[in-house]
Amino acid sequence: MITVKRLKELGCDTDKGLERCLGDADFYLEFIPDALKKERYEKLEALINSKNLDAAFEAAHGLKGILSNLALDPLLEPVVKLTELLRSRTDTDYSELLKEMWERYNLLAAEM
Amino acid sequence: MERIIENRLQLKKRVLVVDDEFINRRLLEKIISEKYEVLQASDGAEALEIIKENRNTLSLILLDLLMPKLNGYELMEILKEDETMNRIPIIVLTSEKEAEVETLNMGAADFIQKPYDVPEVILARINRIIRLYDSINILNATQTDQLTGLFNKDYFIEYVGVIDKYYPERAMDAVAVNISRFHILNEMNGRAFGNEVLKALSDAIRNCVSERQGIACRNSADRFYLYITHVDDAEALRHSLAAGISSLVKDADSRINIGIYPNAQTNPDAPKRFDCALLACNSLRSDYKSFVAFYDAEMYKKETFAERLVSDFDEAIREKQFIIHYQPKFDVTGDTPYLASAEALVRWKHPELGMISLGLFIPFFEENGLIQRLDRYVWQEVSNQIACWKKKYGFSVPVSVNVSRVDIMNPGLVKEIEGIVEEAGITPNDLYLEITESAYAEDSDRVVEAAGKLRSLGYKIEMDDFGTGYSSLNTLAVLPIDVLKLDIDFIKHLHTSPKSLRLIELVVDIARFLGASVVVEGVENSEQYNTLKNTGVNIIQGYYFSVPVDSEGFADFILERIAYDNRQKA
Repeated sequence: MITVKRLKELGCDTDKGLERCLGDADFYLEFIPDALKKERYEKLEALINSKNLDAAFEAAHGLKGILSNLALDPLLEPVVKLTELLRSRTDTDYSELLKEMWERYNLLAAEM
Repeated sequence: MERIIENRLQLKKRVLVVDDEFINRRLLEKIISEKYEVLQASDGAEALEIIKENRNTLSLILLDLLMPKLNGYELMEILKEDETMNRIPIIVLTSEKEAEVETLNMGAADFIQKPYDVPEVILARINRIIRLYDSINILNATQTDQLTGLFNKDYFIEYVGVIDKYYPERAMDAVAVNISRFHILNEMNGRAFGNEVLKALSDAIRNCVSERQGIACRNSADRFYLYITHVDDAEALRHSLAAGISSLVKDADSRINIGIYPNAQTNPDAPKRFDCALLACNSLRSDYKSFVAFYDAEMYKKETFAERLVSDFDEAIREKQFIIHYQPKFDVTGDTPYLASAEALVRWKHPELGMISLGLFIPFFEENGLIQRLDRYVWQEVSNQIACWKKKYGFSVPVSVNVSRVDIMNPGLVKEIEGIVEEAGITPNDLYLEITESAYAEDSDRVVEAAGKLRSLGYKIEMDDFGTGYSSLNTLAVLPIDVLKLDIDFIKHLHTSPKSLRLIELVVDIARFLGASVVVEGVENSEQYNTLKNTGVNIIQGYYFSVPVDSEGFADFILERIAYDNRQKA
């Protein structure tokens, strides 16, 4: 079971995240598994790979929203970069960014 | 208001959170649920359904922009167009700077940035917007007319003041608009239809004032006021308003009347500007050919004259400036006409304006209710005069006095007349009470009740101006009347139209059938007299016998009658 302390050690701004949850650690931690559901990231990757950039932007944007609210900063960084590129529907090679996203994701997911 | 709802009713206001991310919704719920009841929707379409169901109780919508099915922008557009839902404030949830500006321009009340700020800030923003919109909604509800959405009069006058303040040099017209014979439209087609007409006219008025940089209000029923930049083509303005109701009302163009007080900003009294415009509009009431009237110097003169009369009224009563004249009425059923009764006619001997005839002041007093006090004054004066004649000559004839429409509405009428008669020491037989036919036609139940009561006490009831009030023949049969008094207009065409004569004969027949006698007034010459006498009319009044005379002059008629009676006895 992941803890606030462990998330902080992994670089998450848990003070901010907890603040949004009125300091309620249980409430905060309840959302982490949901935010780290693998399907969310797989869906984003699939949409990018299929060049469905509109849908990919919406998926990235949604992820960015929850990751930023929960202050899961390590994973938020690549997702923000992806969102910004997708906002302008940039047709580029996303593999490096996706790789970075998965690395950060795996780091956090390993704690679950 | 907020305190009342929270403290007294113990109710939480309702907030809808719309976001496709469950986590974001739950976070907001956590922050605000202590103070607010939170509803949730995961996309715009679901949100729309919830808003529709809770349109009257939702205090706020917290709205994400990027969502499946119906996004935040699309939902805002839909809500904006719906009058029942656009009063609910929206706070947009966004991380995009451009979206903030765009949504504020679209009508969003505020925005909350993602990632969320500290909870206290979010809660404070939400509280502030809910308070603000509660106040705005209350203000909107009180400042506008519910049916038409136009301002109500009080707020309208306030805003007229604001226009004056910011645009003191702008030439503005005060305009009064009404729909002629609107009550008939209502009666014939029902109130719901009447409301549709009023709404359609209000829409046309709204367009008109927006084109002419002005404002408008519904004053009452079918009366509207507009305050707009000076109108050069009043007919065009009128046509554009009439066009607004033309799909509902066939003769729309002849139904819209407008009264204009041009360059009204020069009059510092804002409410007065619209009184003037209304006065102009009302002047069209009996004119079926004109539809536009301007408030002008003549109207001003007439109005100031009326105001003068009204303001001098109290003093006139106190100082007995109202002089009663008596016009003799002669019984013409026998070979020799003899004095049968009289009609009391009031004139105003004004210390500065001279003698004012009743036609000039009665209409104003009827409008503002002063007629009731004048009638009372006349009843007292006449009763005292009759008592005086009786004391002096041991005889008097009955005198007719006027009982106005407004007197009939007074539940204490019978008691008041009884009091006056008793105090003067005369009897009910000494007074005839004249009620106009139009009063019978307007509120026949009330009149029948009051007249019936007075008649049972011994007063004779005369229906005045018979032939002008459109009494139906079957109601005539049940009316408690002793005398039908023919309108003077019957006489005007007596010798030019055989129909007039035949009509009088018919009225005499009707009166006989009802057991009433017939009085004809306005008889001026022997030709008229002879013709009328042959029709079977009972009583004749007019210059043929005598002009109205003062009490001293009338004493001579009483003495003549006493002599006549003595001759008859001998």
